[in-house]
Amino acid sequence: MFEPCTDIVCSFWSMLNQGPMTLTIILHTLIVLPMIWIYFDEKKKLQSGE
Amino acid sequence: MENKPTSVWTSNRFWRRSATWITGVAAVLLILLTFDSMGQMQMGTAEDIQNKVTKRIPSPVVINYKIDYVLDPYRGHEVPIIGGKTVDSATGKVSSKFEEKEKFFGRDDWSEEEARALIHKGKLTIQAKNCMDCHTLLGNGAYYAPDLTKAWLDPAWSSEGPLQAMTGANSKEEAMATFLQNPDKYPTHERMMPNLGITPEEAKAVVAYLKFMSAIDTNGFPRNFGKIKGAVDARK
Repeated sequence: MFEPCTDIVCSFWSMLNQGPMTLTIILHTLIVLPMIWIYFDEKKKLQSGE
Repeated sequence: MENKPTSVWTSNRFWRRSATWITGVAAVLLILLTFDSMGQMQMGTAEDIQNKVTKRIPSPVVINYKIDYVLDPYRGHEVPIIGGKTVDSATGKVSSKFEEKEKFFGRDDWSEEEARALIHKGKLTIQAKNCMDCHTLLGNGAYYAPDLTKAWLDPAWSSEGPLQAMTGANSKEEAMATFLQNPDKYPTHERMMPNLGITPEEAKAVVAYLKFMSAIDTNGFPRNFGKIKGAVDARK
């Protein structure tokens, strides 16, 4: 499942880049997941009247 | 604590926090990727070639080696191969052997300094003669004349190709240099290249630059070059 490196000069980014979409998906996940946490955190604060 | 009906989507603070997070992550990513690109663009050295280390941009001494263009099924596109190829039987990955030499203007012992000076002169000539007014190099330039990124590997310049025969020269580099000095004399295309007053020394340097550029791993760019008959896997 995991290829060690698909790029000619190996780096952290080339390891994430397992296929044409993977790097994009990983980076978007990195951005979207904390936003879900921000959403619920804000909801909690609004409900408790902060 | 009772659950009051609330809407997070209309909360200013939610959008402010989200925007701050996205901008921050994007800024950090761009900085990290910039450093990654700088590593990728680092030019290799003669020692790398001696030690058979593949770099995206090889040392100028590649002009001493035979350069092929081969489909790498592992990476899914064509790659330049320097000095003969080896194939990994398990993955199908192809890599350069850095062994097979090829004479460039009668020599295959260009030192790193000589080769670098020649390629530098080629670059200055390409800039001075504004090749990019018509051609593209590594994707930069105009779309009037052919892309020159892999021009060295174009089968039309090979010993059986029509362009080499047209110039009457005995080798690819001499044919290209002869053409560059008097492009208006040769009927190549409806859009004929004008005579730019390129001297024999400048022509030699430009051809060295073209050979060096063809050995740069561009992730299979330009994509349509591989479709030219005989450009890929010229030596089966």
